[in-house]
Amino acid sequence: MGVLSSIINGILMGGVYGLLAMGLTLIFGIMKIINFAHGAFLMVAMILSYWLWKIMGLDPYLSIIIIAPLMFLLGYLTQRFTIKPVLDAEKDVREPIGALLLTAGLAVAIENFILMVFGADYLMAKTAYSGASINISSLSISVPRLYAFVTSLVVAFLFYQFLIKTELGRAMRATGQDRGVALLMGINVSKVYSIAFGIGTALAGLAGIVLIPFYYAHPSVGAVFITKAFIIVVLGGLGSVHGALVGGLIIGLIESVAAQYMTATWTAILIYFAFLAFLLLKPSGLFGSRYEW
Amino acid sequence: MRNFITPRYYLPALMIFILLLIPLFISSPYILHIMAMVLFWAYLASAWNIVGGFAGQLSLGHGVYVAAGAYVSSLLFANIGLSPWFGMIIGGLVAALLGVIVGYPTLRLRGAYYALATVGFAEGFRVILINTTKIGSWHTGGAEGFLVPLLGDAPQHMQFMSKVPYYYLALVLLLIIVGFSFWLDRSKLGYYLTAIREDEDAALALGINTARAKLIAAALSAFFTGVGGVYYAQLIRYLEPNAIAGAIMSNQIVFLAIVGGRGTVLGPVIGGIFLTIIGEMTRILFDQVMGLHLFLYGIIVVLFVIFKPRGLIELVEKPYEKLVKMLNGRRVEGAS
Amino acid sequence: MPAKVLLELKNVTIKFGGLTAVSDLSFKLFEGEIVGLIGPNGAGKTTVFNLISGVYRPTEGEIYLNGENITGLKPFQICHRGIGRTFQVVRPFGGKSVLYNVMVGAFLRTNDTRKSREKALEVLQLVGLYNKKDVLAKNLTIVDRKRLEVAKALATEPKLLLLDEVLAGLNPAEVDEAVEMIRQIHKSGITILLIEHVLKAAMALSQRIMVLDYGKKIAEGSPEEVTSNPEVIKAYLGDNYGIA
Ligand SMILES: Nc1ncnc2c1ncn2[C@@H]1O[C@H](COP(=O)(O)OP(=O)(O)OP(=O)(O)O)[C@@H](O)[C@H]1O
Ligand SMILES: [Mg+2]
Repeated sequence: MGVLSSIINGILMGGVYGLLAMGLTLIFGIMKIINFAHGAFLMVAMILSYWLWKIMGLDPYLSIIIIAPLMFLLGYLTQRFTIKPVLDAEKDVREPIGALLLTAGLAVAIENFILMVFGADYLMAKTAYSGASINISSLSISVPRLYAFVTSLVVAFLFYQFLIKTELGRAMRATGQDRGVALLMGINVSKVYSIAFGIGTALAGLAGIVLIPFYYAHPSVGAVFITKAFIIVVLGGLGSVHGALVGGLIIGLIESVAAQYMTATWTAILIYFAFLAFLLLKPSGLFGSRYEW
Repeated sequence: MRNFITPRYYLPALMIFILLLIPLFISSPYILHIMAMVLFWAYLASAWNIVGGFAGQLSLGHGVYVAAGAYVSSLLFANIGLSPWFGMIIGGLVAALLGVIVGYPTLRLRGAYYALATVGFAEGFRVILINTTKIGSWHTGGAEGFLVPLLGDAPQHMQFMSKVPYYYLALVLLLIIVGFSFWLDRSKLGYYLTAIREDEDAALALGINTARAKLIAAALSAFFTGVGGVYYAQLIRYLEPNAIAGAIMSNQIVFLAIVGGRGTVLGPVIGGIFLTIIGEMTRILFDQVMGLHLFLYGIIVVLFVIFKPRGLIELVEKPYEKLVKMLNGRRVEGAS
Repeated sequence: MPAKVLLELKNVTIKFGGLTAVSDLSFKLFEGEIVGLIGPNGAGKTTVFNLISGVYRPTEGEIYLNGENITGLKPFQICHRGIGRTFQVVRPFGGKSVLYNVMVGAFLRTNDTRKSREKALEVLQLVGLYNKKDVLAKNLTIVDRKRLEVAKALATEPKLLLLDEVLAGLNPAEVDEAVEMIRQIHKSGITILLIEHVLKAAMALSQRIMVLDYGKKIAEGSPEEVTSNPEVIKAYLGDNYGIA
């Protein structure tokens, strides 16, 4: 593959990263919780999508209709029945971390539950377009990645519109800015949290679904993606939705460009280094506000 | 003069006595190995507790210090024959240095940001470990891991054919860290760390050099964790970067402390013992079911965070106090 | 008036972005004084405390304690040098007992746990929280939280104590009690600068009052002088606050 091709394919992957990171940053922006189970949710969606394809022959993109609402529900209920009680109990703690620990525990439980039920195999939905590519002279663009990219952008766009145009979206942003004021405005904060967590989880799920035609799923695949998502949200500014998308694209780009000059692992080290530099020097990231650190 | 024949003193003494006797009644090396691991995990959780519990800095990267202790001592042992007994000190100090290196730039980060930074450091460290096969002429094994040379029975090099010495060594380590935590809990430093956990700005206003206190805590915690890593290296004799420096190690340490009760002297010990025994039992009983034991682990953590956020210690404390009172009462009656 | 200057602010200004919260403020505090700092909401009173105690660094100007320039020192260094403060929005170590809270402060002057406990108990006696020493700080009533706030600061053995609205939210009987407590503290030789919205109490306590409006000092003098100053009446007393 030529340099340009791999760069383009890297950016395409970056779109998926962005989609995943958006869910994470949404949850943080509104609830101030780092969701360590975000990668596990992505993995669940990948596995579900795979089995729907395997058993019923359902194309992963069609399975969105089933899986996205399911993931929303999973997120909604997770917040309602596990996170909410922890947040309520920690209301007057200055730096509540119970919820963070909770999600870390959930991640372990979910991963190993999937391991128990579906085993440790590497699974990929080998659809008709899985191996396809578009070739323009020496350029070679992977079709499933292109689909994934376009879908991610469309979803990101719709999600953004939802946030700024709808009443619910406004209520969510108000809650993120100041929970107390939101309460005064008559917003049902707890419900907004559940919806935000549901949407965040659904976004992780969507990222998982668009990955499954070209990326192998296994119970701990979430770990790979969640560290990337952490890096991206810090880069883009925790809580910044467009920051997440841009951050995703940047990381996708860096990965593919750096891969031309060094081994993947040194790229990883480079990215961690950049991540730490941002966290330490500019915790607000590229697009975040200075609040809260 | 204080009376030492009260339940306050003889109950803990009794417990230590029982722990000392255990190897006399258990001959299975396998079980002794598990018991040593139980004590070892309790030790690690207590070491984490200094920074994660007392100071309230949620470190999710303590695997780094385990790895630092383990690798430093093992490399020195394999290459220049330095006894791991000395390695314990050097490994601990290197870990403490790393603790300060991680601690310094993260001083002003709070809550989730601090946690994320520790994840970043740990992951970066792990990746470096995987990709380094040599330091100078010393082989580190890279992703394949590092085999600690086996000498057979060599007490001067912390190697024993029997599991009994390992058990006792873990017990000694655990007693040391519990003693230290006990002191810390009542000392100025302990008060300062707790104040920082509760409200850092208020702590600053009371004249606490919060940066220095946090760095001291980070160094102490990393030191003890690194010493644990040295022990681990000699007990397991195989160092695998993903297992030792990865998220599994780091998270496990935190989970034990949380389930037991972070910020308390004995919480992490209780959590370490309880969860490790549960983990081992499910591993033995359902060894065909992949993932079950970690699944239960995760569920237990979740349940504790939701229903008993202060940890198991809360459940143990009251009955213990009752027992002390009851025994006290009996003694007084007996005396009259 | 006692001669020795304890604290001096020289032309202190702080800006937050476009907002000048404190503007060219200068004043002196003499050893043994009780001085009141009043002004309408948002006048910059708490910001003055944050400047003195080192939470913020002034954009311009200097702060001297006993002739030593303490501008730019960290809050803990300033506390070491003998300035204690309370927070308007109280900040107890919620999960710990009252005694524990105060011991944290007392540890500033000793490394010995027993001595720290003795000191803390002494202070608790003074502020009237002795009987609640084992209560968790988060379970205290608002009055007691304010007392605890004072106790923590007192335990650090300050020469100068900055009290930020410790009387706010108390009922009249409680205010009287607290005023008496502040007198006691003053009597023990501690210089006090207090911010108050309860004007009656501020007037009763203070030997001298400074009035702040929009970050500027608009008046200074005895309580009588200040209350008859037309500018003060315009800026402040014309507000919702009458001198009841
Ligand atoms: N850290 C900060 N960043 C930005 N603006 C600030 C900051 N701290 C204070 N301000 C602003 O400075 C002004 C003065 O605030 P300050 O809290 O000092 O008032 P105050 O006189 O104590 O009022 P109150 O009587 O309500 O307590 C306000 O407009 C406030 O919004
Ligand atoms: Mg104020």
